Amino acid sequence: MEGLKLSMEGIEVAYNSDIVVLNDVAVTGRPGEVTGIIGPNGAGKSTVLKTFFGLLRPRKGSITLGDQDITRQKAFQRALEGIAFVPQHRSVFADLSVRDNLLLGCWPFRRDKKRVARAIESVFDEFPVLAERPNAAASSLSGGQQRFLEIARALVIDPKVILLDEPTAMIAPKISKEIYALTRSLADRGATILLVDQNVRSCAEIADRLYILELGRNKAEGTREDFASDDKLREMVSEWMNYKIDA
Amino acid sequence: MNELLLQGLVNGIILGTIYALIGLSLNVIFGVLRVVNFAHGEFIILGAYGAYFAQKLLGLSPFLAMPLIFLAFAAMGYGLYFVLIKRLAKSDDPEHASLLVMFGVAIALGALMLIFFEADSRSLSYTLDPPFFMFGSVIVPTAKLVALGIIVVITAVLAFFLYRTLPGKALRAIIMNRDAVQIVGVNLERMSALTFGLGLGLAGITGVLVALIFPAFSPFIGQDYTLIGFIVIVLGGLGHPVGAVVGGIIFGLTEQTALVYTSGTTATLLGFLLLIGVILVRPTGLFGREALK
Repeated sequence: MEGLKLSMEGIEVAYNSDIVVLNDVAVTGRPGEVTGIIGPNGAGKSTVLKTFFGLLRPRKGSITLGDQDITRQKAFQRALEGIAFVPQHRSVFADLSVRDNLLLGCWPFRRDKKRVARAIESVFDEFPVLAERPNAAASSLSGGQQRFLEIARALVIDPKVILLDEPTAMIAPKISKEIYALTRSLADRGATILLVDQNVRSCAEIADRLYILELGRNKAEGTREDFASDDKLREMVSEWMNYKIDA
Repeated sequence: MNELLLQGLVNGIILGTIYALIGLSLNVIFGVLRVVNFAHGEFIILGAYGAYFAQKLLGLSPFLAMPLIFLAFAAMGYGLYFVLIKRLAKSDDPEHASLLVMFGVAIALGALMLIFFEADSRSLSYTLDPPFFMFGSVIVPTAKLVALGIIVVITAVLAFFLYRTLPGKALRAIIMNRDAVQIVGVNLERMSALTFGLGLGLAGITGVLVALIFPAFSPFIGQDYTLIGFIVIVLGGLGHPVGAVVGGIIFGLTEQTALVYTSGTTATLLGFLLLIGVILVRPTGLFGREALK
């Protein structure tokens, strides 16, 4: 996996043209790193990922992938550039089979049959639970398996950047643990990971860098070590999240 | 079995497939675009006029005109998407806005057809040899049999496209989860335009079939087909392709078998009673869940 730096600068996003939900926000994800985005409810964490992926269009600011300005690109174009997004809410195509869900994940290179076959084989190797039921309807899978399918579908394009929005929400603890381990492993293999998570403890444990958002603005940022050693930052996280980040 | 009833059942199946085709194209458009195409019937009648003028001006038989009308209507639908439908997405309530806009399109199309084609009823002139087949005591006009064959082929091709090809699965995926489709890199706008083109292309073909099997058509009857289309998709399940086929055949059978025993008005009334019955027992339609899958 070969990651690319993804960053946003001075981003302003508004719903219905007058409700500003992101105000002058700057976030950067780096290759080989897990970048955690945390903050209280309504901070704008998920909005950051949706804006990165092009589902929301910023009023101000810029988004760059590597050296390329992708601010004006649409979501499907960003997918073609190698940005994968696993949204918080279920995104499997319920009545399509596991294999068809994965085949749709290969849409950007659908005409390259050999690459499609390789990609599917590769994710089946990584997710044996999916390989066991390739023809099962996605809706027949458990919540955890559906989440694996969503992640597997994101991985078939061999993404440069993976945006994960609350990947363990409503998922059993055992599966959650596997998802965090996989997230860390993907970063270690070179991918750029941006992770939004309510579970600050788990997020902080695997993240290399953390951003804290509050009411649609950057509140604090730093490496995991910064958060562990800076009393002010530790206190901020402790106060909001009821959790102390240790070195 | 009563011979008249048998005749009614055969007529019901044949007309039911036409209704199914109307419902199928309406359902694909609604499922993918969430657009309530209130002008569908007018597009169908426009297709009938297309066949009429292709025959009158170019000497083309309705059967040869059919693929050309499909392509012309599909191109028109593709263009119309960018001119009209795409902008609806920016309104506060796209579904209701689409209903009102397409209602306006229906009125405008009806008026334009009246201006350019006049109010007189038209019919296609063609001869098929033999003009009809006898199956025991049941008489089936050859035109209806040919129409049935064409509809079966179209439905099979459409089913193959929707259930066996990746673009078809992408189209169904849009109906299942519109937002998620963008995640996998599908160009939602282009796919929506193609779908509207497909829907209008099918409306054009339906128009040729209507002109083939009914004695006449005029600019005034578009809304009848729109209404039938909506009954069919509510019966079968909003947004569900298979539901549209089943709904169309059920409605056709109900209407035509009722005609054996009652007047045309009562038969139409029975069709509506069937609709109300289904809504009462199963509000999402026979195949519907919350929308199509």
